[in-house]
Amino acid sequence: MAQPAVVYEECVTHESSWDADEALTAVYTAHYTSLVRLGALLLRDTGTAEEIVQDAFVAMHGRWNRLRDPHKALAYLRTAVVNRCRSRQRHLVVVDKHTPRTLPDEPSAEQAVLRTAETDRVIEAMRTLPEKQRTVMVLRYYGDLSEAEIADTMGISRGSVKSHAARASKSLRQLLEQNV
Amino acid sequence: MNENPNDPFDELMRRSLHEEADRIEPSDALPEIRARAHAQRPAARRPWLLTAGLAAAGTAAAIGAFTMLNGADNTADDGDAVAGSGTTTTATGLPASPTPSELTASPEPSQAPTEPPTTSPSASASAKTAEPTDRGVPETAVKSTVVPVYWLGQQVGAPKKSTVRLYRTWAKVSGRPAEQAVRIMTTKQPSDPDYYSVWRGAALNTVTRSNGIVTVDFKQLPNTTLDPDLAKVAAQQLVYTVQGALGDNRTPIQVTEAGRSGKQLFGQVNTNEPLSRAQAADVQALVWIDSPAENQVVKSKVTVQGVASAFEATVNYQATNLKTRETMKSFTTAQEGQKFSPYSFQLTLTPGPWQISVYLLSAEDGSITNTDSKSIVVK
Repeated sequence: MAQPAVVYEECVTHESSWDADEALTAVYTAHYTSLVRLGALLLRDTGTAEEIVQDAFVAMHGRWNRLRDPHKALAYLRTAVVNRCRSRQRHLVVVDKHTPRTLPDEPSAEQAVLRTAETDRVIEAMRTLPEKQRTVMVLRYYGDLSEAEIADTMGISRGSVKSHAARASKSLRQLLEQNV
Repeated sequence: MNENPNDPFDELMRRSLHEEADRIEPSDALPEIRARAHAQRPAARRPWLLTAGLAAAGTAAAIGAFTMLNGADNTADDGDAVAGSGTTTTATGLPASPTPSELTASPEPSQAPTEPPTTSPSASASAKTAEPTDRGVPETAVKSTVVPVYWLGQQVGAPKKSTVRLYRTWAKVSGRPAEQAVRIMTTKQPSDPDYYSVWRGAALNTVTRSNGIVTVDFKQLPNTTLDPDLAKVAAQQLVYTVQGALGDNRTPIQVTEAGRSGKQLFGQVNTNEPLSRAQAADVQALVWIDSPAENQVVKSKVTVQGVASAFEATVNYQATNLKTRETMKSFTTAQEGQKFSPYSFQLTLTPGPWQISVYLLSAEDGSITNTDSKSIVVK
């Protein structure tokens, strides 16, 4: 993804002696933006994604003594963000049933202009997916995570990751071909 | 399904999700996260030895964006010596023994010169086994960190006119955190116009630590004479700022001028002995806003966070659009009452300039007793 992440990968191996503040600053610098983006893709609501990621960082700082390792810290953050986004989405679904309303990030006019037609179609198509399938797709194509990493992050089996991915791909292909 | 890596579908998905993600540019939230992390529990005490040892282990160059600043004045050797490690490092510059000072014959351990001295590496390497107790050890320089800087602010509704309390702001610095924090406190204007410092005109020399004391040495201390109460809080402004930057609330602060202790600070405070941290309840503002910062540009959904010590934990707030005079008023509760604890609330504001005020009310007569405010701009 971003350049800082590369530098970061090279250096974190030595840093088990970081204290919580140093770890926070380092991990924040390397991963804050991409975690917010991950959350925003899952939720389509940047403001909420920022809150969720900030909460996750605060929690990470609090448990640094147990994590002690920037790699673990990143895995912890990713899991925390994905979990919180998922429960937020489930909550939204419940709310939506009772009060029909637009989804949070209903793109504003200028955003819609900035987005290419192609991306627009993909993002629209993603909206139709069930929550688990969408999460798998975002982690796979934006997070570049392996099946095993996705399984760990979501707390599901690799087999489930495979089948969610397969079903999601099938629906998306159909939708996208229709629209061409 | 299709595991072909060149599948145009995979390509399309990757490209689209990245394009969508790249449109999102979150604003900097590190100060806020740090403030919240520290509000939720006491700051982790930072053993200097650990950070110094880290630099010594030769990882400095590898830390990339988080590099320790330089080799010339890094403190690796001293950290190493104290930690008892046998690692030999080459980067050194710190005098291995107290530097003779041209200014005084006092044996204060605080006379590390501002210029990197030219001690040879072998000299300091051989000094590794020396007793570290008599040496002032500067902090480790870091490329980037965020430090609290304290200021004075008038306490409204106080029985006495001159009652001031400490307010905190955050600053991004590079170099030695405590030194940088003190420099900001002594030379800069606080961004919040309600705050001020009586340390203007003071010239910092060094911040060093030895033997359970942090020594803050000034080339020149402020010459102003203040009333005793104000002087006490002003002295604590330094203690809080230095300790905050070091993440260590316990080690007392020895103030010296050109290496010598004993000058009356602000004509009032005895500096023969190190200054200990005063109780927060005595000097810290009973309510302040940590985030947003003064003049920060924010989105319409604003989370306001801070710390308060409030009667029944009640923190009142008011937000006023400075153009339209649109005003919202409500209250929130801090996590705990009658002691310093974090509070936060959310506002959804229309675009334009806003002032956010938080305030505490007197339990006796309902008058405003403590307040803090921030001007912000909503995009």
